[in-house]
Amino acid sequence: MEEIIMNLIVHSGEVRSYSMEAIQCAKKGNIAEAKELIEKAEMEMSKAHNVQTSLIQKEAGGEKIEFSLLMVHAQDHLMTSMTLKTLAVEIIDIHEELHRK
Amino acid sequence: MKNILLVCCAGMSTSLLVSKMQAAAIAKGVECKIQATGEAEVKDHIDGTDILLLGPQVRFLLSKFQKSLADKNIPVEVINTLHYGTMNGEKVLDRALELIENN
Repeated sequence: MEEIIMNLIVHSGEVRSYSMEAIQCAKKGNIAEAKELIEKAEMEMSKAHNVQTSLIQKEAGGEKIEFSLLMVHAQDHLMTSMTLKTLAVEIIDIHEELHRK
Repeated sequence: MKNILLVCCAGMSTSLLVSKMQAAAIAKGVECKIQATGEAEVKDHIDGTDILLLGPQVRFLLSKFQKSLADKNIPVEVINTLHYGTMNGEKVLDRALELIENN
């Protein structure tokens, strides 16, 4: 179980790092590179989501999932990364607009 | 005595790695002080630190720490994602000791 949770944290963490790196890139005017990083973030997000879905399906299937602070922390990571990635896309759009002018 | 500092967002997931690294250090007979902390508390722990390792989830902070630690001669590296995900304390410890050795 600890390994599943760590998987969730690691993939969510990658989403977070790629999203922040994408914003930093866009800030410097490298819009194309920023968009590539967002694509990487999206790939990591789907991996994180696969882990999450498998956990939810297990619970829906009647299997009791043990709760720990680490599990809550992993959920926290996932939600934060999802928000950050969504906002990163918007921020990159703004930078793109600014650089065009 | 080697001082290793691990950093992630809140110092929580890295704390798990700390206990695995401590176990690895004892098994190897290496005297180490290994701590985990959050991004904001790094400045309180940085004195006496031999190496700063970042969790993959805060990889975007690498350039910030490289800049702020440049004058302190403390190496900074992002922990290998695979080693982090599998909580491989031994591999992370080996890498940290290698970096301290080469610094």
